[in-house]
Amino acid sequence: MNALQPEWWYWLYDVPPLRLSLLFVGVFVGFYWLGSIVVRPILRQFVKYTAGSNDIVGYVLSCFCVFYGLLLGLIAVTAYQNVAEAGSHVTHEAAALSALYEDVSRYPEPHAQNLRWLLRDYTRYVIKYAWPLQQRGIVPQEGTIRAQAFYDKLLDFQPHSPGEQILHAEALRQFNNFLEARQMRLYSVKSSLPGSMWSVMIMGAILNIAICWLFDMRFVTQLLLGGILAAYLGIMMHLIFDMNQPFRGDVSISAEPFETLYQRMDDE
Amino acid sequence: MTSGRPPLGLSRRDALRRGAAATLAAARGLGPALFAGCSLGIPPRAKTVTVGLLHSQTGPLAISATSLRDIELHAFEQINAAGGILGRQLVAQAPDPRSRVDLFPKRARQILENGAVAAFGCWTSASRKAVLPLFEQAKKLLFYSVQYEGNESSPYVVYGGMVPNQQILPALDWLMGEAGGSRKKIFLVGSDYVFPRTANYVAKKYLADKSLKPVGEAYLPIGDRDFSGVMKQVRESGADCVLSTVNGDSNIGLFAALAEAKIDPTAIPVVSTSIAEDELRSLLPEQVKGHYAASCYFQSLDTPANRAWVAGFRREFGRDRVTGDPMEPDWCLVHLWKRAVEKAGSFETEAVRQAFRDGLEFAGPGGTVRLDPKTQHTTKYFRLGRIRGDRQFDVVEASATPIEPDPYPEIAFPGWSVDWTKGGITRGAEVDIDGDV
Repeated sequence: MNALQPEWWYWLYDVPPLRLSLLFVGVFVGFYWLGSIVVRPILRQFVKYTAGSNDIVGYVLSCFCVFYGLLLGLIAVTAYQNVAEAGSHVTHEAAALSALYEDVSRYPEPHAQNLRWLLRDYTRYVIKYAWPLQQRGIVPQEGTIRAQAFYDKLLDFQPHSPGEQILHAEALRQFNNFLEARQMRLYSVKSSLPGSMWSVMIMGAILNIAICWLFDMRFVTQLLLGGILAAYLGIMMHLIFDMNQPFRGDVSISAEPFETLYQRMDDE
Repeated sequence: MTSGRPPLGLSRRDALRRGAAATLAAARGLGPALFAGCSLGIPPRAKTVTVGLLHSQTGPLAISATSLRDIELHAFEQINAAGGILGRQLVAQAPDPRSRVDLFPKRARQILENGAVAAFGCWTSASRKAVLPLFEQAKKLLFYSVQYEGNESSPYVVYGGMVPNQQILPALDWLMGEAGGSRKKIFLVGSDYVFPRTANYVAKKYLADKSLKPVGEAYLPIGDRDFSGVMKQVRESGADCVLSTVNGDSNIGLFAALAEAKIDPTAIPVVSTSIAEDELRSLLPEQVKGHYAASCYFQSLDTPANRAWVAGFRREFGRDRVTGDPMEPDWCLVHLWKRAVEKAGSFETEAVRQAFRDGLEFAGPGGTVRLDPKTQHTTKYFRLGRIRGDRQFDVVEASATPIEPDPYPEIAFPGWSVDWTKGGITRGAEVDIDGDV
């Protein structure tokens, strides 16, 4: 995994949501229709249609759909959990940053001012530079430098009273919390469903569609009914694809917790 | 089939024909609405160009250098918002050399290998000299905005900071003049690297020309904060002023030691060459108030251009942030580079250098600066500021017009000169910086 390079298919996330949805539907329906024209006549060579054969195909399809539907449902939940988890890392990081900001604001001057602006600088970087990179699937690197600069400055402070010692210990603890959450956020940038899951999903969709080709019915009806099923499969795939990357697509995490924090820092 | 009508169900062929016609019609009708403008409605990604920022963001020099990174980012953001340069958005790449001279070449190599068309950076002369061969080899421009000692010229470096004839020599004139208290017993203190040693060599030559000699000279490694020994030397030397070329957060130690030694700025003022508003953030006002800094720019300059610039920076980076030298020269350098690229119509180094030849000007917050094509240095106003209790400066002395740059003052480097419009450096006699003056 190269943290500095997005995956080749990331351009898909740049397509506006409605159009991407139409694209998924189009691909699935198109595949089904194309198969109906090209593959179905071949399949007919192997499957002798007799009375009741549609019942058998329908039975197989409904069994298959149950398992496949369960799989899709579970995967969709997993993908959503990934997004929610990444969202909680972001919220946790912003909260730790906020607490740290409060802690260092209690330091004597000039330490308080210098530490505050380093945190503000970090927050600004996350909003202005790190977020757009994350949205492109790139793990931002330069935030580490800003966190390190803050840590250096924090260690510069020598507490002189028991009160300052407690405050300093709390700030260091909070800094570690912040670092942990930050690292989790960075891991989330590249987190996605494993390739094997996608393979199973896509194979399942193809088999689903292939079973539909086995029905013996009027051609237009075949195109219509199978098309509806393929369209729904496309919509489901789009939903899972959208949630696959926590920082990309329509269902993604925004920088709002950091923006709110930065606004508060700036107002102070 | 007895009638000529088709059967109740369409034949497969008819269905295909009609389906294809309907699909085409739908595509024709809906296509422009769904996929207007471009293939899938993907917003076109702006063309970019990478620019390196080579500033220490951690370590002892971070106190000064981080603000240069910020002012450059601020300039890039503004330029990008206005459409970029030649239609390309500037993308900054800012690795951290961590105030370590040995890391500067590694970071410079990193940004050059990543395709940076130019770089802005370095604080100390030691770091600049460490990366210089890499930029010369890659034939890429390095824009250096910090005041430095002169005695150097490279076709691949644009020097935006002050050289001794624009900063140290006018500061000495002021100290020795009536306004400065006619002080003649000057103590030289600096960080131990190229800039302070060469700058003090120039200062000593200048003083020698006036039949004067510094009463003492001391150097401490960068980052060292124990100046108690130096203060003892200052006391014992009978100095009536100190010229400081101390850099980075060593200044915290210097001014703490001055306060500890109860050295009154009215009796023994310190004139610093490397103190600006940014460094004052980490100093206690009661320790620095009344001392001086020699510079080309102060945040307190009361001009509309400066007020607007300061307000813009603080709006973006926070109301407690400050501007100073060398942030202002750095800002000017970014815009001079932009003008040169636009004039050249290219990011290519040689084309940009050709654009320098016509003489470029930029109205910066501290006044108009001109890039001298002969030396690739800029003209500078000299300003001397007295430190106030609010960590700002009162300007007590200023040159009426910008001073032309002279990286090789004749008094210190006889026979040396540079003219990049006519073949480059003319060499004079070898000079031993550490030798007797």
